[in-house]
This record gives sequence, C-alpha cells and structure tokens, in this order.
Amino acid sequence: SLTRKVKNDYSRARSVKSVCLNCSSVCGIEGFVIDDRVVKIRGNPQDPNMGSHMTCAKGQSGPTINDYPERLVYPLKRAGRRGEGLWQRISWDEAYDEIAARIQKSIDAGHPERVVLHAGRSRINTEIKRFLGAIGSPVQLNHRSLCSSSKRGANYVSLGDTDWESIDAERCRYFLNFGSNFYEAHQGGLHLVKRVVKARFDHGATLVTFDVRLSNTAGRSDEWFAPFPGTESAVALAMAHVIMREGEFDREFVEHFVNLSATEITDFLKDYTPEWAATESGLEASDIERVALDFARARPTAVAFTNRGTGSHYNGMNAERAVVMLNALVGSVGRPGGYCYGMEEKLRAERYPQPEPIPPKPAVRTDLEDPPEWPLANRWQKMKVGQMVYEYIRQGRATVDVYLSYTISSPMNWPEGRTTTVGVLKDESLIPFHVCSDVVYSEMAHYADMILPDATYLERWGLETRSSPELRHFVTLRQPMVPPPGEARSYADVLFDIGRRLGPEQARYFEFGDHEAFVRHQCRHIPAGDEADSFEWMKRHGSFVDDVPKSYEVHRRLLSERDLLGVRIDDDSGVIHQRDNKGQEQAIGLMIDEGGAPRAVRGFGTPSRRFEIYSREVAEVAREQGIHHDGLPGYLPVPAHVGLPEDRFILTSFKWNVHTQGRTANQKYLTEIVHDNPMWINPHTAERLGIVSGDLVELTTYRPLSSDRGDRAFRGTGEPIGSQQVRVVVTEGIHPRVVAISNSLGYVVSGRAAMARQGPRAQEAALGHKAYGPAPERDDLRDHLWWDKRLGGRGNGVNVNALQPINPEPLIGNQAWFDTVCSLRRVQGQSV
Amino acid sequence: MTTPSPHWQMAVDLERCIGCHACSVACKVENDIELGVFRTRVLYHDHGAFPETRRSFLPTLCMQCADAPCMTACPSGAISRQEDGIVRIAPDTCDKWESCIKTCPYGALHIDPVQKIADKCDFCSHRLEQSMAPACVEACPADVLIFGDINDDQSPVSRFYQRHGSELKGLRVERGTRPQVCYRGVGTVVPQAAVDKLPDGRAHDPVDYEIDQWASR
Repeated sequence: SLTRKVKNDYSRARSVKSVCLNCSSVCGIEGFVIDDRVVKIRGNPQDPNMGSHMTCAKGQSGPTINDYPERLVYPLKRAGRRGEGLWQRISWDEAYDEIAARIQKSIDAGHPERVVLHAGRSRINTEIKRFLGAIGSPVQLNHRSLCSSSKRGANYVSLGDTDWESIDAERCRYFLNFGSNFYEAHQGGLHLVKRVVKARFDHGATLVTFDVRLSNTAGRSDEWFAPFPGTESAVALAMAHVIMREGEFDREFVEHFVNLSATEITDFLKDYTPEWAATESGLEASDIERVALDFARARPTAVAFTNRGTGSHYNGMNAERAVVMLNALVGSVGRPGGYCYGMEEKLRAERYPQPEPIPPKPAVRTDLEDPPEWPLANRWQKMKVGQMVYEYIRQGRATVDVYLSYTISSPMNWPEGRTTTVGVLKDESLIPFHVCSDVVYSEMAHYADMILPDATYLERWGLETRSSPELRHFVTLRQPMVPPPGEARSYADVLFDIGRRLGPEQARYFEFGDHEAFVRHQCRHIPAGDEADSFEWMKRHGSFVDDVPKSYEVHRRLLSERDLLGVRIDDDSGVIHQRDNKGQEQAIGLMIDEGGAPRAVRGFGTPSRRFEIYSREVAEVAREQGIHHDGLPGYLPVPAHVGLPEDRFILTSFKWNVHTQGRTANQKYLTEIVHDNPMWINPHTAERLGIVSGDLVELTTYRPLSSDRGDRAFRGTGEPIGSQQVRVVVTEGIHPRVVAISNSLGYVVSGRAAMARQGPRAQEAALGHKAYGPAPERDDLRDHLWWDKRLGGRGNGVNVNALQPINPEPLIGNQAWFDTVCSLRRVQGQSV
Repeated sequence: MTTPSPHWQMAVDLERCIGCHACSVACKVENDIELGVFRTRVLYHDHGAFPETRRSFLPTLCMQCADAPCMTACPSGAISRQEDGIVRIAPDTCDKWESCIKTCPYGALHIDPVQKIADKCDFCSHRLEQSMAPACVEACPADVLIFGDINDDQSPVSRFYQRHGSELKGLRVERGTRPQVCYRGVGTVVPQAAVDKLPDGRAHDPVDYEIDQWASR
C-alpha cells in the first residue's frame, strides 16, 4: 500500500496561545493542535514584541521537542555507579518519598542551606524561590555570570533603572553595535532584528558592527570592523573622545543628567585618542573618527549597544559602560529612536501576587550563591558567579546535601565543564544526592541519582515578561497546548508536590494546589474588562499589554507635589532626598533648570540620580577588594593579551542562529543545519601554519593572568589547561589573531540527533531507555541521520567550553569567555 | 488574457534576509520533510577578503515556473501547472522517474523517502485552502518572502511588484523556464556566484549547509 503523509487540516485544529522557551527571548506564540499533537507554532501578534506571526528557526522547531523519540517519560533511579548510565524505572511516589526525606533531613539538622537548586533558563524563578523559601535555603544557583552580568552591571551603574535596555530600534537611524550578534542570538534578538531591518531598509538607518568574527550580523552590516579581542572599549572611548573634541555631544543632556561635566568628561577622555585606539585595536584611526562623527550626527536617533562579544572579557563591565556612555554623550538615552530603558514595572510581585502565605526570605547565606570575592555580582540583582560553584563545593566552602538541577547542562555549558564540573558531579562525597529534571537524557542527567521527566515548554504553565523594544509593559501566559506524555510532569508541579510532602511548616506554603492554580492566582489583578475572569482572558489572548504611555525619557518625569513632601534638596548637586520608612535618606530625584524654570524630575535610578559615567560605588567596592579602579569606564587591557607572542592566538566561541547552548542539539531540523563546529581560522594564519580547510590542528588553551591592579585571576598562572584535536575551516570571516569554535555542540551523552548516531533507538540512544515511551512509527533518526560520521558525515563537533578556563572577570564575575589564549599545532598527515 | 483569481506569486527581497532559517525549518515541520531532503533552503555565501568580507543569504524554493521543465520532462504526466499559478505533483500519478529532478535548474525537487514519490514546494496549498499564508512566509521575521494573489492589486506581492518591479528578476532566466518567484538583490546583495552554486539537475545536497561550502571559490 502507498504511504501518504497527512497534511495538517487546520479546520480541525485547536489554537492555544502560549510562550516559546527555545531561547531566553520568550516570544508569545500560538500553537495549533490536531489530534492532541502540536503540529505547528507561529508568533502571537498580541505580544507587542512580536506584532506578527513571525518566529525564528528555533521557534518553528518547538513541536519536535514534544515528539523527541528519546523523550524521557518515566522517573528513573540510578542502578549502577554514578555516571555509569544504568537506571531503573521508579514511581513518582518512590521518587518523591526519597527526595522529601533527604530535604527534611537537612531542614531537621538545621542546615536547610545544604539543599541547593541550580537552574538555568527555567522561567519559573518565582516558583523555585518559593520552594527554597519554604525550606529556608537561599541557595538558588543560576548561570547569569556565564552570560550577561557585565552587561546588566553596566546598565545598572550607568542608568540604575534597568538591567537590559529596550532600544527604540524602529525609529533609530544609526546602530553602533559592539559585539552583539542579534541577527542570530542576543536575548530578544528576534524582536530587535525585526525592527532593525525595518529601520535600515524602510527608513535608511545604518548598522555598524564590531566583532572579531563575521557573524551573520557582522556579515550583513553596512560596515564590519574586527578589532583585536577585548579592545572594543578602546574603540568606544576613542569615539567618545572624538565626539567631545568636535563638540558633537548633547550639551543639555550632559549638563542636566550626567554626573560629570563636559569638561570632566573631555579630561577623562583626553588620552583616548583615535590614534591610540588604532594601536590597541588594529583598526584605522580614520575609521574610528568617521564612524564616531556619523553616529553623533545622527543623534538623538543613534544607539550604541553591546552584548556578549564586548562583555565577556576581563574588562567586560568597563567596556560595556564605555559603550553605554556613548548614548549619554549624544543624548539618545530614553529618546525616541534612542537607548531606551525603564521597563521597571515588568512583572512586579505586587501586580502578580502569589497565593498566601508566602515564605519569608531565608536569613542565612553561603559562598555558593553569594561569593564574597565578586562583590558586584549580587549588588543589583542576584547574578552570582556560577563558574565558581563546583570549585567552591570541591574546596568545601559550602556543604551540599541535596543538589537539584534543572535546565542547566553544566558539563556542556560550563568552562572546564568536562573536568572541574564533572569531577564534582561524580563525587558522591561532595554531592551526596543529585536529582535532575529533564526532557531528554542529558549530560547533567547522566551524573544524577534520580532523573525526573519534565514537561516541555509547550506542556506547562508560567507567567512571562520581557524587555520590550515597543517600550510596552506586558505579560504573557505560558499554558499547556497538550498534556505531557507518559508520566512526565512539569518541574514547578514537582516542586510543589515535594513541598507538600515536607513537614507542616513547609507544606503550608503549597496548599494552594498545582501550578495552574498558582498561575491563576498570579493573573487575578490583570484587568480583563467585562470578559470572563483574568485567567480565562489570559488563556484566550495569551498576552496582556498595559495601556500606559511608552517609557520615553523616564528621567524627565516630573515629581508630583506629593512626591516632594518633606524632601531635602542638595544645593550643589540638585539631588532631591527623602527619608524612607526606616528613616534613611534616599535620593529620589533631581532639580533641573529648564529655560530658567526649576523642575523637580525623577532623574535616573542611580545614587546621584544622574547617568553615572563616574561610579563611586564601583570605586569603593573595588577598594575593599584591594583592586585599583578609579570608578570610570576606562580601558583595562586584558592581562594575558599584553605582549602576546606571535605564536599565540585568542580562542573565541559563538552561538548559531539555530542553537541555544544545551537545549537544541536534539532538535533534528536545527541540528541538520548546524551539527559540526570546525575551528574558523583566517587564511593568512592558516598559510603561516601550513594548514588548509579540513586539516586537523591540536588546540591548546592557557589559563588567564592577573593584572597589576590587585585583582587575582582564578588560577591565574598562564599554564596550559588542555589540548584537543579540532578540524579547521579556513575563512576570510575572522581576525587573523583569533580562532573561533561555536558552542552548543560536541555532546558525549545525549540522544541520537545530538550525538550524530543513526540507527535504532534502543541501540544508538540506549542510555535512559527505561524511561522512553513507545517507539515512533516513523523514525528519521533511525533512517536519515546523514551527518553521522559512520555514514561519511561530519559528526557532532566538539565542546569548546571544555577547553575554556574558569575565568570570572574582577568585581562582577562575568565569565571572560573570549579572552582565552591558545596555541595551534598542525597534526601531521591528518586531515578529514 | 485574464487569469482567474487567485494567482499565487512570491517575491524574495534579499536585502532584508537575515539568514535565520525560520522559513526552511517552518517548511520542514509543516510538511513533515525527512532529514537530508529539502523543499526550501537558505544558502549562505561569503565573499571578499578580510576585513572586507561580506555574507549573503539566498532563500530557495520551487520557482513555480511558467514553462516548468519538470512538467515537460515527467513521463507520467504527474506534474501540472494549475490555474492558481502553482506547479503541483499528483502523488498517485508520480512514478518516480526522477526526470523532473534532472531537469530542474534550481534543485527544487527530491524523492520523498517515505512516500517514495517526487516532492517539492506547492506554496503550502493545504494552508492556502484555509486562508493561511505558506509556512515560510508566515514565519519570516524580516518580510523577505512576499506572497499573495498577483491579481489583487492590494496584495503584498502586488504592492511589492508595484514598488520594485523593475528590480526583480528570476534565477537562471537564461534557461527559459520563466520562473515565477522573483528576487530583488541578485547581483548586488547576493552575488551571482552564490546563485551559480544552486544545484542544477539534482536535489539539494545537505552538506551545502557546512560552513566549508560557503566561501566563494
């Protein structure tokens, strides 16, 4: 009989509005469900960030996650040694009994902080916090320092109002992009690129990108510049120098809203000339000068912004501050078409209340979630220093009884993940009990004692929000499009279930019911108009947009007479102070002079209520650590790069548009596009080394060095970390002193798509098979996995993070991913 | 001569393409396409020496040719261009001769490994029946794929033609296929060398996605 594929019959489809979670952009989506299967995802135009049915490739791939042939659908308990991969199926009751008993034991012993929960992009932070709060543990670990702490820190230092800017991109006419690959990655990248494309091709905006590698963003910019790694701030400072020297700055903004005068700024920038920056960066001084003036002359519809390319360095936070400063100089901060911010009301706890009673904040602290060596890590929000977690456990700086891991694949995603991380995860004396929740058998699950089958993001609840390039306050609802298969259960529900099995002191915080009931409660204040109740309204529409004016120029908002009751105004600075309910004086605003009329305005959320180029806070915190820092966003050369020998290079890594770190390698259509990650190398460098595309090279990486400023790099010895043979691809798209390997690939434990192993599920993806559901009728991974090396394909690449040293930048702890010094040696007679 | 409405047509604005692969993954999920074969792809092309290197993206699909060589070549008569402008394969008539694949200058056809018949883009005809845009068009974040009824002068594709008609051209027009999917930016945004790398007389080779294949040689 003829086999025929059945076309989606949308007349039979049920539509469910929800929220994507295939990356951290959390786009509003609409799913189409036919016969209890999600067959299709599209964007939800009612999410203001979306405005259309668009998605990215990852968004489109969503339905394949529900249908993973290697989906875990039953709880498992370890049956062999840890990391051996032997499992037995258990019931949820058995799992819950053991987990609850372990946690209860820690509580009863007076050490609730020994219960540790480590989650990445879970998007159930509120729920996790409640769970740990009920237990009394503050140890909620994350991955932020591997990602964005220097970016967030720079915005907090400068603006005080936000961790993540909301560029008014559609109205912007000049984009100065320092190291963001928003065409492919970048949190909210899809929302940004949609608007940048409109600005460029409908309104004539210019995009200039600085990146050591030809990303898709760089490759499609009007101009691409490739500075030497870690010198972006030299370029930004030189641009600032030019802008001040030529008087192309916004005098009014600087005078009213910047905490240094124009003279002080000019003086700070005096030595940062384009010629100096050209020496540091390798770019042409004339280019720096020209771009600086083009940018400044597009003011105020000109934006300078960053992402990991600039932030993930030894000098990351200063570099990001230097870039953010450019917006202040040209007065684009908060302006239409400018560097906007002030989404401070997003998902405030009071607006989206939790069911009562709410557990109190745990009073204890540990070095794991509050590492004293990086005092800025937890200053504005709990960013922590995730790279240090395993090392601290190894050193005994904190004791762990129960380690709960979720949406974090640290053996894959951590620097030294295959050594330091796995070493600790395997050691039962350091981590006596590890419970991992996951959708597939992951490298994290491999080192667990118990694996709990999770619901996918298309099968669970949650309330979401995100910064908005539309400058809109909004909230979206994640709801199950279909129930999870087998016995898979959403992690929030698992935590609540466990909570109810703890003692009465803990269980009382979970009497509200399940996650749906929790989210229903959170929705109760959302104004639904005359329609149904708020929760039903959210289920129907998926997105609620607050009808308030766009948050332009929040700093110019006038303070009301009520705001000004009992205030003290500092004559010199014009800062308005008020006593809070504890009697402490707080700066709440600023007096500015508008055409002779004094006005009391809100100012910025910084201590000076101004945009802070100079930060007293940073200088003081550094002094306490014995680190010299003058509080200004000056240039700090990367210590290991100073005097770099000719035969040493800088290893950089990057993310493809079809991948999200540990999440996507098993999504077959994404991995079909990118499954291998040869090392990019410039033709001049390749020629010097006598290598061509396809050759194997031995890549050796080295530990960082400390500077003479008083900071101490973690194991700052400059010694080798390890070596690995990698295949090279020679490309004109990379700086001659840089080599690049993409992340998200190189699994040693996972499903067939991620492992590049074609064949029967039971044979090629045998680990964790006791938790699999029924075998699929058609199985592409059995029959058509063409990139399997055994079939002549390229295989599944290498894990670049394994070769990266643990290297938190001083003060804030952002991982300096892109500083790693390496050497290359041609492997004789080897090529593939 | 008037053509009956609707007459579906697509234009591709290469200037706007961000190479995100949303269209090709949307196509694969929508049409349940096996690994290794493709109705739609986005090919990458790097050109220029460092630091003047540029990248361009070329979304490809069936061109719904007015003089479709696949139609002429099919010994079974399984391929026809219908009144709505879409070239379709009749699944129960296709006899897997593969002559369509050999004659297509765009690599638009392949043998579906499950159905064991020729397969290609049909502008998601099953979605059009439900008044939904093709999956690739709906997914595109950058308004690269412009689609609609060319007989409706208010449709997105008609308006695009009104604005940019003189800049549009088909791929490999010298082959006389009269491709009905037209591109804006060939030879400027995307060099001709990228177009020249399109498969010709064979289905898409999956290894074209490997980065080694991108550079102009």
